Amino acid sequence: MPNRGLKRAVLIALLSAWASKTFAKKSGETISGRVLLFLRPSAISELSQGRRVLLVSGTNGKTSTTRFLVRIIEQLGAVTTSPSGSNLSWGVAGSLLKRANYAVLEVDELHLANVIKQTQPEVVLLLNLTRDQLHRMHEVKRVADRWREIAEQSPDTTFVIDIDDPFVNYATQKAAKVLRVSFGGRSHPDGAVCPNCGGYMKWSSGSYECSCGLSNKSYDKLLVATSAPERNSILANIAGSVIGAPWLEVSPSELERTISIESGGVTASIRLTKNPASWTEALTGINSNQVILILNAREVDGIDTSWLYDVDFQILQGRKVVVTGERALDIQYRLHVQGIESIAAESFATAISQFSSGEHVQVLSAYTAFFELSR
Amino acid sequence: MLTIVRIHNELLGTYGDRGNADVLAFRAHLNGIAAEVIDISYLETLPKSADIYLMGGAEDAAQALSLSALQNGGALASAISQGATLLAICAGFQIIGESFTDGLGQEIRGLGLLNVRTTPGEQRFVGDIKVKASFLDCEFTGFENHGGRTILGEGVQPFGNVLVGHGNGAESVDGAISENVFGTYLHGPVLARNPEFADFLLAKTTGQSTINYVDDLAVEYARWRRSVTK
Repeated sequence: MPNRGLKRAVLIALLSAWASKTFAKKSGETISGRVLLFLRPSAISELSQGRRVLLVSGTNGKTSTTRFLVRIIEQLGAVTTSPSGSNLSWGVAGSLLKRANYAVLEVDELHLANVIKQTQPEVVLLLNLTRDQLHRMHEVKRVADRWREIAEQSPDTTFVIDIDDPFVNYATQKAAKVLRVSFGGRSHPDGAVCPNCGGYMKWSSGSYECSCGLSNKSYDKLLVATSAPERNSILANIAGSVIGAPWLEVSPSELERTISIESGGVTASIRLTKNPASWTEALTGINSNQVILILNAREVDGIDTSWLYDVDFQILQGRKVVVTGERALDIQYRLHVQGIESIAAESFATAISQFSSGEHVQVLSAYTAFFELSR
Repeated sequence: MLTIVRIHNELLGTYGDRGNADVLAFRAHLNGIAAEVIDISYLETLPKSADIYLMGGAEDAAQALSLSALQNGGALASAISQGATLLAICAGFQIIGESFTDGLGQEIRGLGLLNVRTTPGEQRFVGDIKVKASFLDCEFTGFENHGGRTILGEGVQPFGNVLVGHGNGAESVDGAISENVFGTYLHGPVLARNPEFADFLLAKTTGQSTINYVDDLAVEYARWRRSVTK
C-alpha cells in the first residue's frame, strides 16, 4: 500500500463488509465499495496501480462475459473481479479491495468513462449498445458519445469491439488501438440512423455501410458465431489474448444467465431477460410448451415498459403462457394485442403451480425478479 | 378497409411507439372494422389516401431525417386536409409543429400542421404522466421522456391537463389538438394504455359512432395504470 490514508480507508471498508455480512447477513460487497469511495474518493485509481486491468461493458452480456473472461485470465495469475452484477463505481471499488495481479471488471455503460480514467485499463471489451433503461440512459447515441470521448483519450488501451454494432464501432472510431471483430453482420434495433453523421444508414443482409465511412466491413477479424453467448465467448477470448492469455473453449450455454429450480415436481429454467434486444434473443430459445414471463419495472429493470411493443412474441403463440411480476398486466395486454392469451398469476409460486408435476417450464425473468429467485 | 400508416417507425419508434398502430388495428377488428397497418419507411413515399397516420418518438438525428423526408411532397398535409387523422407523439409531435430546436441548438421549421413551438428545456422530463383529456371525459396515462418545452399558439387546444408529470412543461398542459390532428408527449404506447382514446380515433375516422366493444382485459389494464399513476 502506497500510503497510510489509503491503507486506513481499505481497512475500514473491509471491516464494514465484515460487519454487514456478520450482523446484517448481507453480501457486504456493495457497502465496502461505498465506504471506500466515501473515505478515499481516489481509491479506484490508487488501487489500480500496478495491476493489469481489463474492463467489460455493453448493454447485454456484461456479467456472463466478465465471469468467463475471469476464467481466461486466471490462466495467467490471480484475478479479482466485480461481484455479480455490481457494476457501478462502488462495485468496482469493492472488487479492487482484493489483492491480485489482474482485475477483470464489469462496468455499467454510464460509469465506463470514469472507470477507464481511474483504472487505466490495458483492455476494454465492448460487446454491444442497444436501447435499455431509457429513463436513465435517455438515448443510445448519448451513451455512445460518452464512450467515444473517453476512447479517444485512452491511447494506451486496446479496445476489443464487436464491429457489427454500429454504435460500438462509432464509439471507438477515434481510439488509437482497436481490435475490430465481425461475425458477418446482424441487424441492430436502433441502427437506422448513422451515429457518426446522422444520415440514413444503408443496411444489406446485416451489414451496414454509411457514406461517411462507418461500416462493419473494416474489421480486423471475421469469425463465425450464431448466438450472443457464442459471440461473447469469442470476444472474451480475443480480449484475453491481447495480454497473452491462452484461448479457452466454453460451451455458449455457460454464458447464458440461467438458473434451474424445482417446485412441486415442476422444473423451471429461469433466464435473465432485460430489454428488447435481450428478450428478442431469449425468445428465440423458447422450445417448451410451458412458459412463464416475469415483468418488473424497478430502477434496474427500466421503469418504462413501452419497449414491450418492440419485441415480437409470436413464438409464444399456441404455448401455455403464465405472466407474473409487478408489471404482469403490462405484458399480458401486450401479448393480447398480438393474439396471445396468457394467465396472470399473483406470484412466481402461483405461476409455477399452474403446471403439472413432471413438466418443464421455461421462464424469462426481469432483472430484479431473477435476483430474488437466485437467492 | 381502414388504412393505418405507421410513419418511419425505424426513425420514430424509440419508445415502443409501433404498438399504437397494432392496438388500433386490434381494436378495429374487435369492433368489426377491417383494418390494415402499413409501414412506410424513410425511403418510401408516403401515401396520401390512408385514414390514420401515426408518428412516434425519436432521437435528435432521426427526428431531423424524418422531418426532411416528410417535407417533400406534402403528402401528410394533403391527407389531413382531406380528413385523415394524425396522432403524433413526442418527437413526432414536435415535428408537426411550427418549429423546434435540434440537438445543435438550431431552430428548425416543422411541418406546420399544429400551431405549436418547441424549445429545449433545462431539465429532461422522465417518468409517469397522467392527463385529463380535453376532448373526452377520461384520464389518460403514459410515460414521458423528453427535454422539450412546447408552447401552444392560436387555434389549437391542449391535448389534456396534466395531473401527474410535466407534459409540455408550460401552463400545466400536455400536447395539442386541432380538429383531426393530435399531438402529445404520452408514450407507453398511449393507445395500449388508454383504449378509450383508440376507440375515439376509430370513431372519428370511420364516422361510426357505435364503437363500443368491451375488451375486459383492456379495461382492467387501463384502470390499473390509472390507479397506480399518482
